[in-house]
Amino acid sequence: MKRRQFIRSISLGTAGISLLPVLGNKLLYGSGQFPQAVWVENGEPEQLLKRALQEFGGLKRFIKKGDVVVIKPNIGWDRPPELAANTNPHLVAALVKACKEAGAKKVKIFDRTCNNPQRCYRNSQIQKWAEKAGAKVEHIRPNRFKKITIDGNIVKEWLIYRDYLEADKVINVPIAKHHSLSLVTLGLKNLMGVMGDNRGLIHNNFAEKLTDIDRKILPTLTIIDAYRILTANGPVGGNPKDVKLTKTLILSDCTVSADNLALSLFGLKLEDVPHIKMAYEKGLAKYDPGKLTVRRVTLG
Amino acid sequence: MRTARRISQIVFFLFFIFLFLITRYPYEHGITTEIFLRFSPLSPVFMFIKDLKINLLFLPALIILFFTVFFGRFFCGWICPLGTLLDISGKIVKSPLNRISEKWQKLRYLKFALLIGLLILALFSVHIWGYFDPLSIFNRALTIVFYPLATLFAEKALLALSNVSFLEDPAYWLYDQFKYAIMPENQAHYQQLFWIALFIFLILIAEKLSRRFWCRYLCPAGALLSFLSQFRFYERIVGEQCPACNKCQIECKMNAIPQDDVGYTNKVECIECFNCGATCPPKYNAITYRWRWTPYRTSVDYSRRRFLGTSVASITALGLLGVGIKNKEAINQQVRPPGSLTEEDFKDKCIRCMECVRICASNGACLQPSGIQSSIADLWLPIAEMRTGYCEYNCNQCGQVCPTEAILPLTLAQKKKTPMGLAYFDKNLCIPFARNEDCIVCEEHCPTSEKAIKFDIRDFTDPKTGQTRKVKYPYVIKELCIGCGICVYKCPLEGKPAIFVTIENQKRPTSSDILKS
Ligand code: SF4
Ligand code: SF4
Ligand code: SF4
Repeated sequence: MKRRQFIRSISLGTAGISLLPVLGNKLLYGSGQFPQAVWVENGEPEQLLKRALQEFGGLKRFIKKGDVVVIKPNIGWDRPPELAANTNPHLVAALVKACKEAGAKKVKIFDRTCNNPQRCYRNSQIQKWAEKAGAKVEHIRPNRFKKITIDGNIVKEWLIYRDYLEADKVINVPIAKHHSLSLVTLGLKNLMGVMGDNRGLIHNNFAEKLTDIDRKILPTLTIIDAYRILTANGPVGGNPKDVKLTKTLILSDCTVSADNLALSLFGLKLEDVPHIKMAYEKGLAKYDPGKLTVRRVTLG
Repeated sequence: MRTARRISQIVFFLFFIFLFLITRYPYEHGITTEIFLRFSPLSPVFMFIKDLKINLLFLPALIILFFTVFFGRFFCGWICPLGTLLDISGKIVKSPLNRISEKWQKLRYLKFALLIGLLILALFSVHIWGYFDPLSIFNRALTIVFYPLATLFAEKALLALSNVSFLEDPAYWLYDQFKYAIMPENQAHYQQLFWIALFIFLILIAEKLSRRFWCRYLCPAGALLSFLSQFRFYERIVGEQCPACNKCQIECKMNAIPQDDVGYTNKVECIECFNCGATCPPKYNAITYRWRWTPYRTSVDYSRRRFLGTSVASITALGLLGVGIKNKEAINQQVRPPGSLTEEDFKDKCIRCMECVRICASNGACLQPSGIQSSIADLWLPIAEMRTGYCEYNCNQCGQVCPTEAILPLTLAQKKKTPMGLAYFDKNLCIPFARNEDCIVCEEHCPTSEKAIKFDIRDFTDPKTGQTRKVKYPYVIKELCIGCGICVYKCPLEGKPAIFVTIENQKRPTSSDILKS
């Protein structure tokens, strides 16, 4: 225990020191140099990610040397990548590499799946590509959930996966999909993959309960995979006709803003989607939707 | 020879357990793991009665039957995993000497009676021999009792170790190995555990009465092999120098050597364990094993009077199996694995080996051994219990491992078009109907590419607050539902689900359907 605390305090110290270069950058390029969100389109997953990170000032802005990083893709379904039910495996792999290059000591990947976990990890191809890229891809272990205090409007406490809570940095990588109940599933909804208990119970009074819990577990970065999006019969899909190739990626350090931006892919507005609207109302967003600075890039 | 026999026993035992372990997702190793169940000598005979043709599926058993005519019951002594298990059990509970267990000798006819009884029932097209098939018993016990027990302890122990701070890393490393090699799936939990455990426990504990009690007095497969080995050509020959010290008689696993005539071997009982040869004192070295073209015959311990008794008993059993009530409600809930033959054929062909249940545990984990629901013969048939698991949409593996093709090996595309049943909502429980709040978790999980669950959006005005909200009320489209039951499994209600699957709309191929086209 003591040793842990010691390490923690040291890393806090180094965090303070390593803030310096960021400040330096800011001074150098002038503040407001970096946008609050990036929208890149028309490229392969790896290219999209590379450019987005570049526009956002590089992963080093967020990841310190020696960090344990958790990447939370959507691995929920026993479906191949072409059916757009899970996050694109190549995007995940590219992100793993980027984290490692930024100095991450360890990159962990997991998701509490809806179908059989072995099948999901395998057929999504995330296990294969992410492991190749150097990540530790683990199944959820039932003994590693921790009850945390939520104290929301409805939810008072909930089980959250310990590795997620203990990570230094978290990158949420949802795939943009249709969902009958919540209309879309994006960053906010993707966080359900680290929640324990009977998740079905979140479904009634969904917006309120989801934002209650999400408020406590917001990630460092959110990268929305919209290379392929699922436009109907979500979140499972299964019909290639419902998949649209949009070749887009959205990145922000504010989950709510990223989600809000992604709505246009589905022709939706913020008023249509209660859980994102409520996230703004309950103060989960870092940035004002009206004043959000977005850099939009079309690769050619 | 005894050493060779022991090695063979161990090799086959481990091989069968290995096959058992790799009977799991992804099942892409190209090994037909159910092959060991096709070693059962009974299967070709009963399948012949069922289909009136010799099924080459059971080639391993046919080979064994063929060689038994010449070599006797080597299967029992050298191959059968249940026999090996019994030998282990005998060592643990310390079986009594043959002199003491002699008193059970008069029960030898029971195994013949059991075999004949099962044959008579089969001729009247009631196939319940699978309950007594030794390989089926072995696999059933392994699937339902031994394996879950072992993994439960292993997982608990490793996770407990991982909570000890300095052991955390090695314990998780071991845990990962365990998860990789032994149990990638979740811990299995089965209904009917008690009865199946009792069944195997009684067989194993009977070793306390005599060595190989099951094989000597009860096993129908042993009985079948006995019939064939009456004239076996490979004989145990005792030389002149034998002083009748009776050492071999004491060591004989089957008590096949008469106390008063150690020169004789009861060919019908002998399982060729070669204990006799190994215990004969070297200074006499009186026992040799030799091929003789003019073998003597040992007749089977089964008289005409006994045959009459057996017939009466089987006819009674036949009646008992027939007169049970037909509980329509129970029958309506008997959802079978996808690709199961029509219920009558399925009941006849399924040997309750639990191979499908085993592989399902690493997929949707819906298959369970059924209890007695409407007829005694329902017992331990695989049944899909959608509250403890569901049928995984992209899985067709139960059909691939069924040793008797009671479940046909459908392709994945065929399987997706073969409904197991039809889902119905229970609106008294379903949250949107009962409380006018949104839920539709079932719809979220429904795997058909056009969802079989759809919903109406209707306004609901809360009489208390006067506020109006939109609520999604789900319903099932019969033409799209394949009865996979994931909706039942995921229904967030704590107890009874608000959606359930019935066998209505199920598609059951007949044996003659050439599904493999
Ligand atoms: S097809 Fe369905 S019932 Fe058969 S093993 Fe797979 S999940 Fe189980
Ligand atoms: S249906 Fe299942 S239990 Fe029956 S014989 Fe086939 S694999 Fe064995
Ligand atoms: S059983 Fe339920 S989940 Fe499966 S196809 Fe039918 S409605 Fe959909």
